[in-house]
Amino acid sequence: MSAASLSALARSYRGERVLTMVVGLLALLAAAATTAVGLGWFGPYRAARPVIDPIAVDWVGRHQLVSRVVAIAVGVLLLVLGLIVLVRALRPESQPDLALDHTVGTGLLVTAGAIAEAIRVDAEQVEGVGRARARMVGDRANPALRLSLWLREGSDVKAVWQELDAKVLSRARESLGVAALPTAVRMELAAARRRRVH
Amino acid sequence: MRVLVRVVGALLAIGVAVCGALLAIEVAWSWAQKGDATLFVAWPRWRAWLEGQSWNSTAVRVTAGILAATGLVLVIIAATARRRDILLQDPATEVSVTTSPASLARIVGQRVRAEDNVSGASVIATATRVRVRASSRLSSEEELRPRLLAVVKATVDGLPLVTTPRITVVVNSPRDRR
Repeated sequence: MSAASLSALARSYRGERVLTMVVGLLALLAAAATTAVGLGWFGPYRAARPVIDPIAVDWVGRHQLVSRVVAIAVGVLLLVLGLIVLVRALRPESQPDLALDHTVGTGLLVTAGAIAEAIRVDAEQVEGVGRARARMVGDRANPALRLSLWLREGSDVKAVWQELDAKVLSRARESLGVAALPTAVRMELAAARRRRVH
Repeated sequence: MRVLVRVVGALLAIGVAVCGALLAIEVAWSWAQKGDATLFVAWPRWRAWLEGQSWNSTAVRVTAGILAATGLVLVIIAATARRRDILLQDPATEVSVTTSPASLARIVGQRVRAEDNVSGASVIATATRVRVRASSRLSSEEELRPRLLAVVKATVDGLPLVTTPRITVVVNSPRDRR
């Protein structure tokens, strides 16, 4: 089990998930702290003081330069962080072409669509596979393949699983002349055949 | 939930970016204008209102409650948005194979329904557990259950799963109610 083939299984949504978790936790913590102060856990006088405390305002007034610089820095940091997560979330998943020859001038590039189509057709020839879909994922430096298979009802999963590497993937590697092509296979078992209404 | 976390995550990213930009702009603006000058946000009014509120006032408590609820929802969304794919063994190095829980449930369900005297079955499958509820009119649980267990076990063993799920079979039969 390699990291490259595992990460090709599905598009990563780590950034969005971490951001959602962090914002949620911060909101919970802030709410808990506010409630704790309001209930008088930090002293009954503290609970009755205004939310914008004169002592804090006084401190900020005495350290005006530091406060302003820190506030602006935090603002810029949040802006950059938000934009990074947003751009990564909205960017379509890349479909890298495969560079077989890196020589400048005579480089050879196989387009992602061509590889995916060839592998899809090959995969659909395997006994028991009803439908297949292939797609290149990752980036130029680390290309990987994502292969989705819909197995027919009653097909032998183990046979398909064995034949997949022996025939389809090894052939793809051979014809492309690459030593390794990290591949993630998603199998849907006993998928109902699509029926057409006449 | 994965779609939800992606949408929520993108919206939060916009929110964080906008808040950061406003904070930087407002602070820089009031610094340059020397005083309570505002550009987009009427923060002196907010400050005046907050100065009139104590920590134990109702408004602050209600706000904290809303904030806690929102935070809890976000945490739940983030925590439940995990992949439930079932890993199969790798047929070769650099090749990972998964299947969906629905697939496993489907394949087990088909085998169970194909057995004699089974009138219906529902299956819930995860990577670690397969639960089968079968109903039968003609056989009692005692008769049918060992047979179904063997069938489900054979089906699961026939798949190159990484972790062998625990199997539970329950049979509903009117014969048992008599």
